[in-house]
Amino acid sequence: MVSQYGIKLATYLISFSYGDFCSKVCECLLSRGSLTLAQIIRFTELSRENVINCLRVLIHQNCVQAFSIQQEVAFGEAPKIVTQYTALFDNMIHKMRFPKFMQIVSKELGEDCLGIFEGLLQHGRLSLNQIIDRNKQTPDNSDVHVVRETFSRLLNARFVERCPAPEPFLAPHEEETPAKKRGTKSAKIAEAPKTIEQRALAAAAPMESIRFLMEIDTLTGTSEEKGMESQNIAMLDEKWKQDFSDAELSASGKKKEILWRVNFEEFMRRLRHKACMEYVIARLSDQSGIVLSAILELTRSSETRLKTDKSASLSINDIYDEVIKKDGGLGMDFERIRASLVQLGCQIPTTGIDETYSIDLKNIVELAQNEEVESVVLKRYGREAYRIFRLLSKSGRLLETDKISDTTFVEKKDTLKILYKLWKDGYLHMEKVSVNGPKQTLFLLWEMNKEPLWLRVLDEMYHAALNLRLRITYELDQEKEILQLPKEKLIGELEKRYKRLGKVRIILETSLMNLDDALMLFRDF
Amino acid sequence: MAFRGRGRGRGGFGGGGFRAAKQEPFELYPELEDLGTAEYSTRNLQLIKWYSNLQKYWNSSPYYYEGGSERTRNVQKPDVERLSDKNSQVANAKPPLWHFIKLDIDHVPAELARGDKKEKLGSKRVRWNPESAGMHKLDLFEKLEQKHQGQEGKENKENEDQEEDDERNEEEAEEEFSDEGDYEQNEYFDDDEDDYNMADDNDDEPFF
Repeated sequence: MVSQYGIKLATYLISFSYGDFCSKVCECLLSRGSLTLAQIIRFTELSRENVINCLRVLIHQNCVQAFSIQQEVAFGEAPKIVTQYTALFDNMIHKMRFPKFMQIVSKELGEDCLGIFEGLLQHGRLSLNQIIDRNKQTPDNSDVHVVRETFSRLLNARFVERCPAPEPFLAPHEEETPAKKRGTKSAKIAEAPKTIEQRALAAAAPMESIRFLMEIDTLTGTSEEKGMESQNIAMLDEKWKQDFSDAELSASGKKKEILWRVNFEEFMRRLRHKACMEYVIARLSDQSGIVLSAILELTRSSETRLKTDKSASLSINDIYDEVIKKDGGLGMDFERIRASLVQLGCQIPTTGIDETYSIDLKNIVELAQNEEVESVVLKRYGREAYRIFRLLSKSGRLLETDKISDTTFVEKKDTLKILYKLWKDGYLHMEKVSVNGPKQTLFLLWEMNKEPLWLRVLDEMYHAALNLRLRITYELDQEKEILQLPKEKLIGELEKRYKRLGKVRIILETSLMNLDDALMLFRDF
Repeated sequence: MAFRGRGRGRGGFGGGGFRAAKQEPFELYPELEDLGTAEYSTRNLQLIKWYSNLQKYWNSSPYYYEGGSERTRNVQKPDVERLSDKNSQVANAKPPLWHFIKLDIDHVPAELARGDKKEKLGSKRVRWNPESAGMHKLDLFEKLEQKHQGQEGKENKENEDQEEDDERNEEEAEEEFSDEGDYEQNEYFDDDEDDYNMADDNDDEPFF
């Protein structure tokens, strides 16, 4: 379940982009979990037609996933199959980051890929034909072949993937009957068994083998397929309108068009790598940054999931070959690379025969997260609180007040005051222990629990991001008359207001982007 | 007794009396001290522009869902109907959802799918480039760019693109729209196909 302000932020983003009806549906799904169509209609109190259209838009924009399950029925009745809808919270928040994705594509692949990519961001899902048609209506109207080639470049870089199945069927679990209402869905065992939403997403996702594959050549060689080589160019246009796939026959038996969408996982991976590199460059050294970026580039394609703990292993020679290709890496030799690797936390193997290294990325991310929280404590509560907090976070166990006071060289009563403040605001956990000795003494033990604290910090950040977005909207709203005037009329007082508005907007949006980096650090990395 | 009454009256007035509440103007964003200053840098200008363009596109697209058939009935006619209004409303109308979203059973869940009534959709019908999506609305950042042009020479190329954009849109558009952030409800053609209106739509559309 998502935190309170996370829901508010997501709802606001949807309302801003897709209107109030869609945001009502989103809010309902986010707060109540997976629901059927009838339940959504009941809870949102919107008309059936509106809910249906909202769901169509939201599914198309990758914010909602549908799945069908078998509903528990009374004894004697035939099992009923119902469709449920679940909100995809992360995808909703990603909308804030679309410009960062565009920047990555633009830098790596260029403007023509960016054009197609922007279309996918605008529409959520497009088939190849739609991409081609859309391209015809843009200023750089290219040939079909060129568009296909551009698209396949996006596909090869894994920035684009196949859309998930619209309505996978989840077979009932062996141990427990599938939940029919949201209440029972809160799994009592929190760990290994997946929630129904996770199962739905896993079932909907395309197989890894076809996820980035444009066409599948069927072995049932139809004459059309063989004819592809011998047909002349004009006819190829028609043939390419059909994606051949024996796995994708539609209900009516015709071949169905494949829809493509942005592969958020890849962008999160890139941003995660970028964050690790920035951290390393800032905290360790430029050289370590170069080595890390070389390693990550080589191992990126072998990462199977987003939050990988360690990068894949690479031999020192591979690392060396990649490092010297980078800017500033030309002068590095093996010894310097080894030194950087040690800084990054690797151990130099003593045998030296099989010298491979892998970087512990999870560790880097954790260090960055710790630093972020500590800086918040420093700003809000002062230097002494910062020292105390650092002590507790490093020790990882319960410490008694006096011990804290001695170790951090802070006066005892100040320590107590600070600890109370931190505890009241939810940064620390406290336990009271009373010892029955000659004198009954009460000891106070303090501890920092990462998990709940990280969630709190994340919620605060969602709150801050929401405030920033609201403020931006407010400022633009205040000056909307100025924005409606043509440029020539902006003189004197009006021009000043206009310039001020521009500056204000840049400041607010930049702050939001920086905050978004921190959001990703705690949620997605 | 008189004293007691008076005393009580005084006590009553002093203790439980209501003074008129001091009227203070409600400040949505009051000044706070000690907040420090935020960073101002223009290196993210391109990102901000991109986001702004995406937002404008979404707001003018059929994805910004404004309600179904109820809307068309509730559209307020202006007091004095003008011929130019008719043109603007039709030209402003958002294309229906099914132009963009494939509503067949292969791509959406069964209960959301529509029958294949209008499957064949000529590619010219679908409007991928919204004409009034604010391409020639006042772009805040064009001005700022020009301001920075003096300081940083690299903005030259971007300005050229913006000017080209402006020229193209002036040719295409029939009237000046000044709807920055305008959520004014446009006529929404709902899903039920209305062939007459569809044909109408085509005639008034500029040729792409």
